[in-house]
Amino acid sequence: MPATKPNTGLFKRNPPIAGEADAIERAKQGDADAFSKLYALHKRRVYTLCLRMLGNVSEAEDMTQEAFLHLFRKLGSFRGESAFSTWLHRLTVNLVLMHLRKKGLNLVSLEETINPSDEDAPKRDFGARDPQLAGSIDRVALERAVASLPPGYRMVFVLHDVEGFEHNEIASMLECSTGNSKSQLHKARLRLRELLRNPEQLEPAPGESVLAAAALLQGGAR
Amino acid sequence: MSETKPIPPEMSCAEFQEHLPELFAGPDGGLPKSDPSLELHLKTCANCAALVRDLQYIAEQARQLMEPAHDVDPSDQVWANIQNKLKEDPGPEA
Repeated sequence: MPATKPNTGLFKRNPPIAGEADAIERAKQGDADAFSKLYALHKRRVYTLCLRMLGNVSEAEDMTQEAFLHLFRKLGSFRGESAFSTWLHRLTVNLVLMHLRKKGLNLVSLEETINPSDEDAPKRDFGARDPQLAGSIDRVALERAVASLPPGYRMVFVLHDVEGFEHNEIASMLECSTGNSKSQLHKARLRLRELLRNPEQLEPAPGESVLAAAALLQGGAR
Repeated sequence: MSETKPIPPEMSCAEFQEHLPELFAGPDGGLPKSDPSLELHLKTCANCAALVRDLQYIAEQARQLMEPAHDVDPSDQVWANIQNKLKEDPGPEA
């Protein structure tokens, strides 16, 4: 049984990029070409993060725009204490969360109201008559399943399992306890399991169609 | 007197599953190495073992989504909008 490795953190996943440090310094001085380079280097990661968190193309594009405008204004406060991409991801996550709060989405309690606890309770009879998931999930299905999660679940799952944030970081960002973050993540994974075992429940959504289509174009790599 | 290993108390599936959020947040990623009762249940309950395997598998697959090859591009309009806004922007804060 493979052990789940601890989150490796964004710095390890995002080592410094050649020419990035120079572009950052020049962009701090207002150099438009340097900022254009930073956009080219990071637009895909920032947009994909927004898309996974929001599940909506239009909102994801708006938030990508906001993230880079915010970056332009705040670049002077980047001191290089973490990888630039880590810093940019955190900035983006905070903007998305602020956007969702403005929309009135209660990120911590929403999932509780959408998914009553009895619905989330682990099923007792799984495993015995159904095949295991191991080896059976392709990326298209996973993208669809993630997009089908309720927003609160999706948020914690994307932040922890995809983006690599720790529970204490998520708790800080979502203004909840670490126990709540762990609990929501577990419920999100349980829901994903149910969705992946019953793919007929997966309904195409605007955001997921982009990521799932991209996965299809790339061969749906496992 | 020979020392006998204490038999861990039996645990129901519901009791075992209540521990899963903490177990998965721990260093062993869902493996209850430090609790004999949990370990015994995992060894003897096919349903819970399948659940733990599936949840571990989902977490592993999720990490693959972070690969840069799986990222997608925003439309060109996003950069056009940013450039337009930057024209009105006073510039980076000191």
